[in-house]
Amino acid sequence: MTAFVNAYTLTSALGSGVEAMRKTLRGGQSALTDAPWPGSDVPCFLGRVDVPADLALPPAHRSRNNALVELALRQDAFAETVGDVRSGLSAERVGLVMGTSTSSIDRTEQAYCELDAEGRFAPAFRQSAVHNPHAPAHFAAERLGIAGPCITVSAACASGAKAFATAKRWLDQGLVDGVVVGAADSLCLSVIYGFHALQLVAPEPCRPFAADRQGISLGEAAGFALMTREHAEGALRLLGAGESCDAYHMSSADPEGVGARLAIEGALADATLDMADIDYVNLHGTGTRANDDIEGGICGSLIAGSTTLASGTKGWTGHALGAAGMVEAILCLDALATGLVPGTCNTVAVDAPFDLLLDSIERPLQAALSNSFGFGGSNCALVFAQ
Amino acid sequence: MKVVVTGVGLWTRGMTSLADFAAARRDEFGGIGAASFEAPKAAAIPTRERRRAGLAINLCVEVAHQACDCAGIDKSSIPSVFVSAMGDTAITDYMCRKLAGADKLLSPTKFHNSVHNAPACYWAISANNRAPNTFVGGFLESFGAGFFEASSQAIWNGAPTLLVGYDMATEPPLADVAAIAETLAVALVIAPAHRGRPPQELSAMAAEVRLVAEPALPPRPHAQVLAQLTAANPIGGALALIEQCVSGDTHTLRFPASPRAHVELRFEAMP
Repeated sequence: MTAFVNAYTLTSALGSGVEAMRKTLRGGQSALTDAPWPGSDVPCFLGRVDVPADLALPPAHRSRNNALVELALRQDAFAETVGDVRSGLSAERVGLVMGTSTSSIDRTEQAYCELDAEGRFAPAFRQSAVHNPHAPAHFAAERLGIAGPCITVSAACASGAKAFATAKRWLDQGLVDGVVVGAADSLCLSVIYGFHALQLVAPEPCRPFAADRQGISLGEAAGFALMTREHAEGALRLLGAGESCDAYHMSSADPEGVGARLAIEGALADATLDMADIDYVNLHGTGTRANDDIEGGICGSLIAGSTTLASGTKGWTGHALGAAGMVEAILCLDALATGLVPGTCNTVAVDAPFDLLLDSIERPLQAALSNSFGFGGSNCALVFAQ
Repeated sequence: MKVVVTGVGLWTRGMTSLADFAAARRDEFGGIGAASFEAPKAAAIPTRERRRAGLAINLCVEVAHQACDCAGIDKSSIPSVFVSAMGDTAITDYMCRKLAGADKLLSPTKFHNSVHNAPACYWAISANNRAPNTFVGGFLESFGAGFFEASSQAIWNGAPTLLVGYDMATEPPLADVAAIAETLAVALVIAPAHRGRPPQELSAMAAEVRLVAEPALPPRPHAQVLAQLTAANPIGGALALIEQCVSGDTHTLRFPASPRAHVELRFEAMP
C-alpha cells in the first residue's frame, strides 16, 4: 500500500476551495444556474466557476481553462504544499498526471473567431503550448516546478479518474515518490453545442436517477490531489483503481454494462476489498436515461438491501466532463475526512433499484467507491479509504 | 523498467508496414522521397463503425492491428496507450470553424469522435478488446511520455502493452501553432523483457527504460530522408526506435518526455 493522499483541493460550481465546497453542500442548494453562456442559445443549466480575469497567467499559457487551473492551485495553499513536499524529494521522482477532456479548446474556439484576413491565428493566439490536448499539464508542471514524469490523460469523462489510476501505478511501482494528480475541464461552446447535438442536455437542473430525468447539466471544475509513497499524518489512501473499455460504441454505453462492472470489480480486487466493505458509492449518475439505467442495474446488484450509501452529485456541480472524476474523487475523500456525505441534489421521485441518498448526512466512513464512465466506453472506478 | 519491442506497425508516406520500412532502409530510404500519402482503409473496423471513422481513427486502428499481428499476440486482451501531440486536427478545425460561424449546430458523429480517446475506442471495437485503454498527451514530447506510461503498464501487468502514436499533417491556422509536415502513425507492442521475444523481423534486444530529469533533443537517424521524416512529425522519434529494432544497433536512445525530462532507453542484446 503505497498511494497516500496528503492534500487536495477543488474549485467547481460548489465554490473555490474545500471550505466553500462544504458550505454549499451543507446549505443544500444546487449550484446550477441558467444564466446564458456567451455565444450560446442552447437552453440549459450550467455549473460554472467565476474565474477572475486578473490571474496574471504567462501569455504563452493564457486560456480560460488554464486560468481555472491557476485559480484551483491558489486554494487551500495547494501550490505551497506541493512546493514543500517537492523540495524534500529528488526532482525526477515527483510527477504530474492531469486529466482533461476539453484542455484549452476554449482558447482555440476564440482564436477561430478572431482569424486575420489570411485566415491565420492573430499574434496573441499563436500559443503553441495552449492549442493541444496537453495544455493544462504543461502549464501546471511549469507552475509547480515538476521535473519528473508529466502526462495528460484524456479519456473523455473518465479522464479525471484515470489520472488517479496512472498515479497509483507509478507510486506502487516506485517510479515516483510523489505525484500531483490534477484535472481541469471548462465550459465552452464545443461541449455545449456538442452535447446539444447528441440531444443529451436537460432544459432544467439535472436530476440524477430521477424517474422523470431529462439529461445532463454541464459543468466545469479544476481539482488537485497530492499523493506520496510515504504516509503523512491524517493522510487518506487510494486503495484501488479499476479500468476497462466497453468495446461497444463510441457514445452509447453497453446496455449490459459489462465494461463498467469490470472496472468496479477491478478496483475492489486492487483494493482487496469486497463490496460489503464499501460505505459510500459516488455514482457517475449523469441524469441521462441510459447512463442511470445501466449504472443503476449494476449498482442494484452490488448494494441493494445493504447499508452502503449511494448518491449522484452532478445535480450539485453539473457534469464537469474530463474533471468529473476529480470532482467526485474529492467528494469521496472529503466525505472520508469529515463524515459529510453528499446527497443527490434536485432528485425527488427516485428510479433506482437501491436506496439513493437524497439529503446529505453526517456519517463516519471507512471506504468509498467512485464511478466514472466516458465516451469511447472508457470506464474507471476508484476506491478511497481511511 | 526492462522492456522489449515485440511488434511494430507503421503508416506514413511511402511506407505502410514494417516490411516497407525494412525494404526502404536498404537504399537509405531514397525511394520514399517522391511517394505520396495514401490513407489506410482500416478494414478491421466493423462496417457499422467504419462509416463514422476519419483519418486519425483509420491510421491508429491500422497500425495497431499491424503491430499485434507482427508480435503474434491476442488482440482481445492487450491494454493500450494512444498518444498524439495535437489529436485529430481535422475534427478540431471542423468544430472551431463551425462554432465561429452563425450556424453552430455540430455533427453528433464529429462531436463524439472529437474526444481524444476515440481512436482507442474504435480499436477496442475492432479487436473486441475490453482491456483498459487510454490517451496520453505530452504535446511535442508525446512519444517519450507515452513510451514511459506504456512501459510502466507493461511492467505492472507483467504482460505486453500496445503503444499507438499518431499525428496528422497540419494546415493553417492550426499549422501556425504546430507545423507538422508529414502524417505518421506508429504502433509498438512493448513487453516486459522476461515475457517477450521479438519476431525474426526485429532484433533480439531489450531496453532498460528510465526517466531522467534533464531536457534532451529528439533522436536524429543517420539516413537523411529518415531524419527528415523523424523531424516532420511530433511522434517521429518512434522511427529512430524502429530503425534500431530492425538494425540491431544498441546505441542509447533518448526521447524528450517533457520540457524538463527525457526517457532514456539503454539497449542490450538478449541472451
